[in-house]
Amino acid sequence: MNVLEVEGLVCGYNPKKPTIKGATFSVKEGEFVGIVGPNGSGKTTLLRAIVGLLEKDQGSIVISNHRIENLTRRELARRVAFVPQLMEPVDGFTVRELVLLGRTPYFERFSFENADDHDAVSWAIEELQIEKLKDRPITELSGGEFQRVAIARALAQEPQLLMLDEPTSHLDIRYQVNICKLLKRLRNHRSIIATFHDLNLASRFCSQLILLKNGELIARGTPEEVVTPENIWKAYRIKALVKNDNEKKKTRYVLLP
Amino acid sequence: MSNKAGRSTLLLLALILVVAMFLSLLFGSVFMMPSKLWGSEILWQIRFPRVVLAALIGLLLSLSGVILQGILRNPLADPYVLGISAGGAVGAALSIALGAHFVLFGISSVPVSAFIFAMLAVFVVYKLSQVAGKSAPETLILAGVALSAFASAILSLIIILTGNLQTIYFWLLGSLSSASWSNVLTVIPYALVGLGIAYFFSKELNALLLGEEMAVTLGVEVEKTRTILITAASLMTAAAVSVAGLIGFVGLIIPHWIRLLIGPNHRMLIPVSALSGMLLMVLADTLSRTILSPLEIPIGIIMALVGAPFFLYLLRRRRMEGK
Repeated sequence: MNVLEVEGLVCGYNPKKPTIKGATFSVKEGEFVGIVGPNGSGKTTLLRAIVGLLEKDQGSIVISNHRIENLTRRELARRVAFVPQLMEPVDGFTVRELVLLGRTPYFERFSFENADDHDAVSWAIEELQIEKLKDRPITELSGGEFQRVAIARALAQEPQLLMLDEPTSHLDIRYQVNICKLLKRLRNHRSIIATFHDLNLASRFCSQLILLKNGELIARGTPEEVVTPENIWKAYRIKALVKNDNEKKKTRYVLLP
Repeated sequence: MSNKAGRSTLLLLALILVVAMFLSLLFGSVFMMPSKLWGSEILWQIRFPRVVLAALIGLLLSLSGVILQGILRNPLADPYVLGISAGGAVGAALSIALGAHFVLFGISSVPVSAFIFAMLAVFVVYKLSQVAGKSAPETLILAGVALSAFASAILSLIIILTGNLQTIYFWLLGSLSSASWSNVLTVIPYALVGLGIAYFFSKELNALLLGEEMAVTLGVEVEKTRTILITAASLMTAAAVSVAGLIGFVGLIIPHWIRLLIGPNHRMLIPVSALSGMLLMVLADTLSRTILSPLEIPIGIIMALVGAPFFLYLLRRRRMEGK
């Protein structure tokens, strides 16, 4: 089943000069889609349109059979969760309190969190392997720990679609791999879309890749189909070598000569 | 803070408040032994309504502060600093001066007029401080200070033109000297409605701790929430101003202190701030009646003496932290 269908999407900050110029793609349940492309190619803009932070100018966005404009903010928030590149840490909150904020779309006006909410929070904390941190003040966490908390917060929304803007950009290589492994595990029963700068990480962990340039989709498919020297030249104007790991067939490495 | 710890904190605070209110009843221009208190005219007609009014004003102003700081995401926001109080005072004084002072369906016209002007003030300050869709904390405060000065001048002018110079002191310095049961009845509905709105919007205020965009992705309708909460804060401020004039800094000090003590979770921050605001005002009012007895110092002077240095300290600390 398609969790997300995007068709002819045109959006941006200036209707005369749209950032995304007609994107069409779909995402199935259980897929981990990486969006790659040079700076300014529209990766973040595309994410913002799908999470409802940016109104589209043309085209359609359908989230599990509901057109985005027919969903209320709350309904959308129960289906799509967003982890921004940099989330503000809330001074004075513990990890658990922050993750609980992810339950906001489920709270009713005249009541507060119930057993379901607590279960969802505990589950999200477990999935991200941060049980040990759960009573720690957020301001005391390292960058890698905080990123896992931010993802747990989004996961507590129990979304069908988890969207992340450069989840690895502020992390050292150990945490980059750690976060990607966690995300790959999380895609059961939901889909994940994340933007990446690192083509190696993206091609190693994502099941599908979308390559953007100047707001246009110039390639999409499996990492083998997308990460090719020709496509890298088209998108980045860089001559690169792409090598396959002979033992693990799927792993590809992009080398810069 | 766990729910259980939260409940004990609230209970303890409520208990302290009751004790403080009782002690406050004993003091005044004459000290009264508890045994003589019952049946005394002074108690029932003067001190009791006054202590209750002080507490209610504490609740109104501290909650306005919590709401404004949360919704504007500005730790320096407060109804007095932003000029909402001064705007409200113009409305209240205008209504009294024009003789448009009546009660319709149990609602007094004075707080309604105060509310209209308080809303006008908050709208002007908010719009003025917005640069490219964003509101810079310091700009908001500067706009508030300027508007406050302007509104205070108009307020003084209204009073001079219509007669009683003495009442300028009442309005500008803030005082509970005209407390009465009818005043108490005037503000009670505002306190209840304000508390209810603040409490039931605590989840939106919590989501906003992550920033406006994150709140949107958590399903919060930010514009609608902002309108409702700013209206509620203005209503509460207007009600307080129309019976007690300009009392500053309560809405600044209380939320700050309480946030440092129990954290930013609005579900606790709101009730604890409400109770602490009540307590602070009851104490300040007791001081105002006794410190230079039989002379009474307007409560606004006491709050400014404590609050203005606190505000400066906050400004300085923000600068040092480079925020």
